[in-house]
Amino acid sequence: MEMSSIPRLHLDDVYVVVAAYCEAGIITETVGSLVDCFRHVVVVDDGSPDATAERASRAGAVVLRHPFNLGQGAALQTGIAYALEQGARYVATFDADGQHAISDLKRILGVLKEDDLDIVLGSRFLGESTDLPRLRRIGLKAAVLFTRLTSGLRLTDTHNGLRAMTADAARKLKITQNRMAHASEIINGIACFRLRYREVPVTICYSEYSLSKGQKLTGSVNILVELLVGWLVR
Amino acid sequence: MIIKFLLITLLALLVVFVIWQKITSPAVRRTALIILAIGVYFVLQPDHANAVAHLVGVGRGADLLMYLWVVVTFSAVLVLYLKIVEMSRMLTELARRLALSEPISPPDRSKP
Repeated sequence: MEMSSIPRLHLDDVYVVVAAYCEAGIITETVGSLVDCFRHVVVVDDGSPDATAERASRAGAVVLRHPFNLGQGAALQTGIAYALEQGARYVATFDADGQHAISDLKRILGVLKEDDLDIVLGSRFLGESTDLPRLRRIGLKAAVLFTRLTSGLRLTDTHNGLRAMTADAARKLKITQNRMAHASEIINGIACFRLRYREVPVTICYSEYSLSKGQKLTGSVNILVELLVGWLVR
Repeated sequence: MIIKFLLITLLALLVVFVIWQKITSPAVRRTALIILAIGVYFVLQPDHANAVAHLVGVGRGADLLMYLWVVVTFSAVLVLYLKIVEMSRMLTELARRLALSEPISPPDRSKP
């Protein structure tokens, strides 16, 4: 496919971390397209009862298995810890449900390496998202506003699963929010450690599959509660 | 009175349980026994409970007991909650170490 046009060499120091829970239906496709371009693809199976781990492994990823479900934040942190252990220079996160584009990930990594940044975040509101449902847009915008107030960072999309960072940044941004509040936690970390960051437009493909798996608007209430508890019991 | 009989029976059962169980430390056991003894005393002498309540400005002994109960329950819930948070943190760490100790490598692909 397009792998011939991009030299593999530049991507061998990158570990792509994919957190997956019950994604057996699509993980083969997601991992398959990643291993075409990246040598190190790490899937963290977050205690799925289905065949997610087996299929991810067969598709060519290194698989780490949580013995039980802990949440996406915990799964990402496990994958990041593995990548750092293996001596990764760059760590990227990529959603399992196929809503991200490999070309966007490559672009993000290009910006990260060339412009000497600590972390690069994907933003669907800088780019063009295909068929973003209205209710979800409202929820995401509210999250953006909330993050602007709490961290002071002027971001356009705070809950995008596509990011890339240097090993140093990954080491600093240890995720302790096990569930969905990790996205805000990462951003607070960027502010706290004064990391050099940038947002890059990415396209999100809202397939029927990814919509059925994504966060409902009510999820944002849970995220708020998780963050509050996180602040209280630090 | 029936209520006195009921309460004393229950408190006596608790006394037996506190003495019998071996989970808590002797200090905790002693404290629990003292609290139970005070309970038995106030069940037998409710007027004395009223007197103590008046002393701190509460109308009845039963009311004072309820206020104390709310405070104690709330603290207990808070302590338990913090313990649960701490335990889930440890559980996450354990699960992570377990996952990291057994990475599953992909089956050999015929790619270079």
